[in-house]
Amino acid sequence: MPNGTHTVELQVPIENIWNFVSDMNNWAPLVPGYIEHEILSEKQSTWKFKGDLGFMKKTVKLQIDILEWIEPSKVTFDLKGLSDNFTGGGYFEAEKITDAATRMTGHLDITAGGMMGAMINTILKNFVPETAQQLTEAIAGKINEIEGVTV
Amino acid sequence: MPANRPATWDHEVDVVVLGTGGAAFVSAVLAADQGAEVLMLEKTHQVGGTTAFSGGVPWIPMNRYMKEAGIEDDRESAITFIKRLTQGKEPDPKFIDLFVDNGHVMIDYLHENTPVRFATPKGYSEYYGHLPEALKNGTRSLDPEPFDLNQVGEWGPLVRQNPVFPPLTLAEGGAVGGIDFMKIAERMENNIVTMGRSLIGALLKGALERGIDIQLNTPGKELVLDDEGKVIGVVAEKDGEKIFIGARKGVVLASGGFEWNQELIKTFLKGHVTHPMSPPGNEGDGLIMAMEAGAALGNMTEAWYYPTMQDPTFEYEDHVMNQTGGGRFGPNSIIVNKHGKRFAHEGTTYNDLPRSFFEYDPVALEYPNEAPNWMIFDQQLKDSQMIITMMPGEEAPEWVDRADSLRELAEKIGVNPDGLEASVARWNEHVENGVDPDFHRGTTHFENILGGGGNAEANLGKIEKGPFYAIPVHLGALGTNGGPRINEKGEVISLRGNVIDGLYAAGNAAMGILGPVYTSAGGTIGPAMTMGYIVGKEVGAKEAREIKEAEALAL
Ligand SMILES: Cc1cc2nc3c(=O)[nH]c(=O)nc-3n(C[C@H](O)[C@H](O)[C@H](O)COP(=O)(O)OP(=O)(O)OC[C@H]3O[C@@H](n4cnc5c(N)ncnc54)[C@H](O)[C@@H]3O)c2cc1C
Repeated sequence: MPNGTHTVELQVPIENIWNFVSDMNNWAPLVPGYIEHEILSEKQSTWKFKGDLGFMKKTVKLQIDILEWIEPSKVTFDLKGLSDNFTGGGYFEAEKITDAATRMTGHLDITAGGMMGAMINTILKNFVPETAQQLTEAIAGKINEIEGVTV
Repeated sequence: MPANRPATWDHEVDVVVLGTGGAAFVSAVLAADQGAEVLMLEKTHQVGGTTAFSGGVPWIPMNRYMKEAGIEDDRESAITFIKRLTQGKEPDPKFIDLFVDNGHVMIDYLHENTPVRFATPKGYSEYYGHLPEALKNGTRSLDPEPFDLNQVGEWGPLVRQNPVFPPLTLAEGGAVGGIDFMKIAERMENNIVTMGRSLIGALLKGALERGIDIQLNTPGKELVLDDEGKVIGVVAEKDGEKIFIGARKGVVLASGGFEWNQELIKTFLKGHVTHPMSPPGNEGDGLIMAMEAGAALGNMTEAWYYPTMQDPTFEYEDHVMNQTGGGRFGPNSIIVNKHGKRFAHEGTTYNDLPRSFFEYDPVALEYPNEAPNWMIFDQQLKDSQMIITMMPGEEAPEWVDRADSLRELAEKIGVNPDGLEASVARWNEHVENGVDPDFHRGTTHFENILGGGGNAEANLGKIEKGPFYAIPVHLGALGTNGGPRINEKGEVISLRGNVIDGLYAAGNAAMGILGPVYTSAGGTIGPAMTMGYIVGKEVGAKEAREIKEAEALAL
């Protein structure tokens, strides 16, 4: 099962991080290859993005269902391919280090199904952890920018 | 105008080869084996060109692997077969003999002197197997054996890759389906490649072993001619700088066709190829350089045509990929034009079917079959075959037009609804009767090549179970195959009929030696590698010329 977890530390209080992350519209454009997203309800959204696999680019559409919000520290979600056969999920976690510092972790797992699953999962093995890392770092970068933290 | 002599050469070698496809590598290796110092220049950031991107299959009469597999073949049969297909349209019949006589020698040479290995694909036969002149048992096509790309070290990831070709051989279903996805995953893990990547990987290894210098991101831009019109070098571009490279023995144009150059396409081809299928980069640079040097041209109106389809979610190098994808002649399908009419046998070879797209109607004063045409099919085909990237059993993706009735479908895609309804009704009648008197579906070998040839049971199926689907069929090309006229040594001939000293061409950059004919799987790479072999031997063995810089020539 292709998956990846990435952690960063920010000199930002956990509440400020939660404020940013709890509104998807804030960070949706930071998803690598982002094209568009649509919020269908508090718990459901659809996403379209173009994944750059190096030797090709693939546009995929997926649905995200939020499983739980645990303010201010964790949001977990399921994902399902609408354009292609894959399923997965992930979470985003914030952990207080001090009043002014937070450890932030992003996790993603995506598994392709169907006849081509085994082949596609071989490609996703690198792609998924890279995406988890890029997204977590992009979110951290944006929060630092908003909070005026220089790193 | 070609460039004047520079004040100094930045580099001087014996042979400069433009391109890194099959024709280029074979000529580079052969030239090096004659003792020449060889430099290969590649325009793009990757090595291998269309050849690496392709099935990598050459079609070679009387080759050693056929013999080993007990397949009988002989010179006369091969020549008779090719002539049956060319119908006299080849630029010069002596090239047919040249190809038949040298192709198998080239394969022997590579087998004995490089890591290149092939197999005769089991269960495969010839595209035109229904012709009396065709080989009846087995095939002349050769399937590259799997190659461990780790053998070329850091060059491995630079070998071009077709994203939709899995690492399977032709025999294992790499190009046609019936695929073992676990084997694919295992090969991907271990960096084992097949088809075009295998062929180029093995040729690359042979080139590296010989110390051939290969420069990526370095397009050849202009030829350098001396006062007598001899080609003595190339101006290339590296990191935005011009570099002058002297070629003591000669320059080989192996830079592919001009399928990515719309101006040249419109100037020369009968059909307007809008959807090239090779990697971007083949823009006719070699052709332009040859024309500048005064070359005569040959076979200019021809291309390796392909009725291509797209999955718009797949992009290759910033273009939606034009795919070879399957399903085109599945039983429950037809292809119609904008009038909703069938106009050709849908299951003929990819190089043949598109020729019906250029037809002109002198009464209606239009090109009725100008692409895009439409592949129309029903749920039965959707459920039973892989169509482009759509797997049977999975829901059709958003980008496929569909409707519950044919009328609604026609309206959606802008095709005449009455025409489509009538065409499908007529097709269904033909299916009922087991014959297609209009276009003879079910009678050619190619349309059921893995099942022993076309027949009513395999190739005729009613379009009756909704939803109905439509996919546009575009006019694509695997490459063009017209270019500078060459002689039997691969030397480029001038408009006045003289040899242009120091200039050679092979593969799609040159005049196609078999004219419009795609003999069977491998019909383009076979001749390209054969001419590469001849050119490499010739230029490599040529006496080195003195190629002095101009004394103080202002550039
Ligand atoms: C998907 C696909 C599958 C195919 N399968 C087969 C098959 O199995 N068998 C078969 O016979 N044919 C097949 N074909 C067609 C075949 O691949 C080509 O006809 C053949 O590979 C052409 O070889 P080439 O050496 O002439 O040129 P190419 O392989 O196209 O190489 C030309 C190279 O020159 C480079 N170049 C261009 N301009 C310059 C410049 N100015 N300076 C330096 N370099 C330059 C290009 O970037 C490219 O790398 C297929 C094609 C496609 C697209």
